[in-house]
Amino acid sequence: MSDFVLALGWVGIYGPMALGAIGSIIGCATAGQAAIGAMMETESGHGRYIGISAMPSSQVIYGIVIMFTLNRPLTPEVAAGVFGIGLFAGLALLASAVYQGKSCASAINAAKAKPEIFGLSLSPAAIVEGFAVFAFVFALVISASIPAVQ
Amino acid sequence: MPSTDPYLTLTSSLPYPGDLFTAKETPCSRYKLDDRLRMLTAEDATLLQDIEALLQWSHQPIARTDGEVVALARALAPSLRNDTLRSVVDHRMNQRTLVAALRRRKRGDDAPPANVPWGYSRWLDHIARHWREPAFGLTREFPWLPEANRLLDAEDSVALERVLLGANWAWLGQASMGHDFDFEAVVIYVLRWNVIDRWTSYSGDAARDRFHTLVDAGLAGFTDVFNEGSTHVGH
Repeated sequence: MSDFVLALGWVGIYGPMALGAIGSIIGCATAGQAAIGAMMETESGHGRYIGISAMPSSQVIYGIVIMFTLNRPLTPEVAAGVFGIGLFAGLALLASAVYQGKSCASAINAAKAKPEIFGLSLSPAAIVEGFAVFAFVFALVISASIPAVQ
Repeated sequence: MPSTDPYLTLTSSLPYPGDLFTAKETPCSRYKLDDRLRMLTAEDATLLQDIEALLQWSHQPIARTDGEVVALARALAPSLRNDTLRSVVDHRMNQRTLVAALRRRKRGDDAPPANVPWGYSRWLDHIARHWREPAFGLTREFPWLPEANRLLDAEDSVALERVLLGANWAWLGQASMGHDFDFEAVVIYVLRWNVIDRWTSYSGDAARDRFHTLVDAGLAGFTDVFNEGSTHVGH
């Protein structure tokens, strides 16, 4: 039983990074495809389309930081806590990256049609980023309350 | 895992269609549009072609009968795989059926033809039952219908076309909600492109030129007759 709990602990350590990476892959690919389409249609502003399409890459960075924060010698006493924090922080990062990618794709489409709303069109993606930051910061805060290994 | 946004690049590469009645030309040429549409899968490309073949009224063969159009619509129906595609096709066919009914009534028909396919709509029986009412009792479902009826009676063809295309445009806009990067978005874009193409291709100057050409061609025939006549007189 304790081996299973320890295995869950490892899932909790690596989870935020892996799930964040999956989310960033999907999000960047989604926004990137929209950026390519927009570049086919427009004559300028290509750099900003590519810049927007890279926005969902922040989630994997948050995941890496959470992973290092949670990384510690695992015992049955701490493994369950590490698993809970790591898994749910990872899922939050995954979802935020996927939906941020969709928001970025819509922003690219909107900015292509109306360049004057370029800044405003990024607001939904920025709000989604805010939720990813919440998940990231509070994962760090709550991980401090996991008891240290005796 | 199938993507929910299979046509991200394609839809992003299509120029913004803008507003129908202020457009001076289509957002891009048909050649460019067809070039972009090569990103569709073979299956989706065929379906789009079939939808266009049914709905692009100006490209219908003149000899095609109502019955053939109805048969075409019925044949297409099973391949429309979701409610959005069905609603887009059904709305346009409803519009055509209602306008056909208005025209039939205006020319003096007492009722729609019985036992002959003359329209494709779930309102066919309703139209027959309310034949004498100005908008067939369908004002709530089709708010443009009373105005279309009035303009048809007034024989104001341009205003009538504007009402019909405007209603179709608004419906396509409504149907596009929630479809940004999928096949439905592509279909709706192409249909909107066709609406813009139709509206912007109406040209008073072109019509005047065409009229003059026809008149000149007709008068040229008469000139030949007179010439021939004078030749005979000379002989």
